[in-house]
Amino acid sequence: MLPEISQLIAKLDEHDYVVEEELATILLLMLKLNKPLLLEGPPGVGKTEAAHIIATYLKTDLIRLQCYEGLDVNSAVYEWNYQKQLLSIKLTENSELSPSEKESHIFGDEFLLKRPLLQAITATEKPPVLLIDEVDRADEEFEAFLLELLSAYQISIPEMGTIKATHKPIVLLTSNRTRELSDALKRRCLYHWVPYPEFQKELAIINKHLPDINRELATQLVKFVQYLRSLKLDKSPGIAESIDWAQGLIALGAESFSEEYINQSLGVVLKSDKDITSIKNQGINSILNEIEA
Amino acid sequence: MEHYTNYSGLEASILGFCQLCRSHDLAIGLNHSEEALIAAQGGFISDSKSLKIALRSIFCTCEEEHSTFDRLFDIYWRKRRHEYMPKTRTRKQTKIVKETKGSVVLMGVGDHEEDEKKDARNVSGANKMESLRKTDFSKVAAIDHALLDELAEKLLLQLNHRLKRRLKASKEGKIDLRKTIRSNLSRGDTFIELLKKNRKFEKYRLIILLDVSGSMDKYSFYLLKFIWTLKSNFKNIEAFIFSTKLLRITEYMERVEIDQAMLQMNTNSDHWSSGTVIGKCLQEFNDQYAKKILNGRSITIILSDGLDTGEPELLSEELKKIRLRTSKVIWLNPLKGMEGYEPLAKGMKAALPNIHTFESAHNLESLMELEKYLSHV
Repeated sequence: MLPEISQLIAKLDEHDYVVEEELATILLLMLKLNKPLLLEGPPGVGKTEAAHIIATYLKTDLIRLQCYEGLDVNSAVYEWNYQKQLLSIKLTENSELSPSEKESHIFGDEFLLKRPLLQAITATEKPPVLLIDEVDRADEEFEAFLLELLSAYQISIPEMGTIKATHKPIVLLTSNRTRELSDALKRRCLYHWVPYPEFQKELAIINKHLPDINRELATQLVKFVQYLRSLKLDKSPGIAESIDWAQGLIALGAESFSEEYINQSLGVVLKSDKDITSIKNQGINSILNEIEA
Repeated sequence: MEHYTNYSGLEASILGFCQLCRSHDLAIGLNHSEEALIAAQGGFISDSKSLKIALRSIFCTCEEEHSTFDRLFDIYWRKRRHEYMPKTRTRKQTKIVKETKGSVVLMGVGDHEEDEKKDARNVSGANKMESLRKTDFSKVAAIDHALLDELAEKLLLQLNHRLKRRLKASKEGKIDLRKTIRSNLSRGDTFIELLKKNRKFEKYRLIILLDVSGSMDKYSFYLLKFIWTLKSNFKNIEAFIFSTKLLRITEYMERVEIDQAMLQMNTNSDHWSSGTVIGKCLQEFNDQYAKKILNGRSITIILSDGLDTGEPELLSEELKKIRLRTSKVIWLNPLKGMEGYEPLAKGMKAALPNIHTFESAHNLESLMELEKYLSHV
């Protein structure tokens, strides 16, 4: 391992983030190349967390854009504060200003509502971390728009002209792979596939989040969750679910990882009726025996 | 030659690796090469694992490409030369022919693993996919099996598409004047809509008999895969596997997943990798099924190497019965793909007079060529 990478891992560990070598290498590479990073993987494996990690590491702002179907420029880039503009016109009705002066006034900075992408570009102090979350959910048109932004780092607003980035933001994109992203977008990004964590890593994460947890309980819980992932469930539990579950068991006052407590709290980790019934039919005790074996 | 020691200097070796990846269908642009260079110069070159992770994130655009990348990386950046590197190609190739000629006679006797390894090395060259198409199934090295699987799926899917297109195109017929005039009566004297006359679509039935005995081991999986491809085109398909006994597998074919089906077949029979008595199996077929499923509109395909331990007379007789009931008998023999092969095995010799078409089925390309028989079905 390169010394730089081990330093990065150690530093993130201080901030209570558990990062394995591969992700750390890629984060370092991303900073070196100044290139966007596309993270793909199943839900709940900590893709979004990676953006928090890097923002904490660089001590900079995290600007997040959550994508959804029908996301448009108005909610992603900028919008004019229409009401305020109208009011301003009313107020300056009787003033001596010429029409062109009035116009440039109402299309000024104070009437511009900055949405995440514009915020990221106009940040003044430090380059911020821009997280474009679940980009696969946005439409293809929006993806095309992103392309322009990611290659030139500028946004044009017809009334104001082109705004260039003062600092190139650090861009992370995440995708759950509900659809294949375009080649053009992928070409502009580094790519990393985030798998479900391995046993040791998941245990470490839970211990980081819940330092008081009973060791034995945590070990068994992680084994159980890893077993659940090996089954073909409708919704495999992610790391977030394991942490929730561990928290839930602590809240229930569970001393040990027994059938009784599992039955009470299975809904925390399995989010589909079909999965819960299939696990219950299989018999929790038999699963417990199997993971112990 | 694909190894970093063939280039002098950091820049040249990184660019050489980019070229190698490009030739294996990874989409790498100029900017990617440049970034790879920056990454390497930025210190990543000093640790091979870090370099691998870094270059992978630059070169790959989806998880599926990781396996290709990992393989290429391991070959290119290995400390010493990789054992699968192509060496002196021409001399070895002539050797293959000799060896394979020998192994026809020796088939089933002795251990050929060493030869197989040697031969496999000869096919892992620069244009792997292309050569895999032409490689005999039995000579594919273990490391390439996954690749071959992938390729087989792709090619067989293509075959599937093409067969469908042909069937559709053949529906276009001549213009039916009578119907056209009649349907265009209301439009005066201009024919706007042309109606066509179709030859009535004839439904053929496809009957496949697959030999799964020991000598066919290397082929039977791919041939089974081939059968699975055909099933989506021919509603009317009957499939059997045989070795010392006959087993009807048509019912298993309703399952979508070939792996699951194979598992079930395995548990229900001890056919796989045993001896071969073709004549007896065909007799069983004739007694139990032939009357029900063979008719003038059926094509029978037998997939076997013809290495038989039974009586050739029985085989010949039973095959004749089949020939009389069906419109066409096609025998596909994987051994026929070998250079210098002649149907000398007594089983094969006995079968020849009673079959219409004798073709090879030893690699993907030969399977694709079967299209010409199947598209007229």
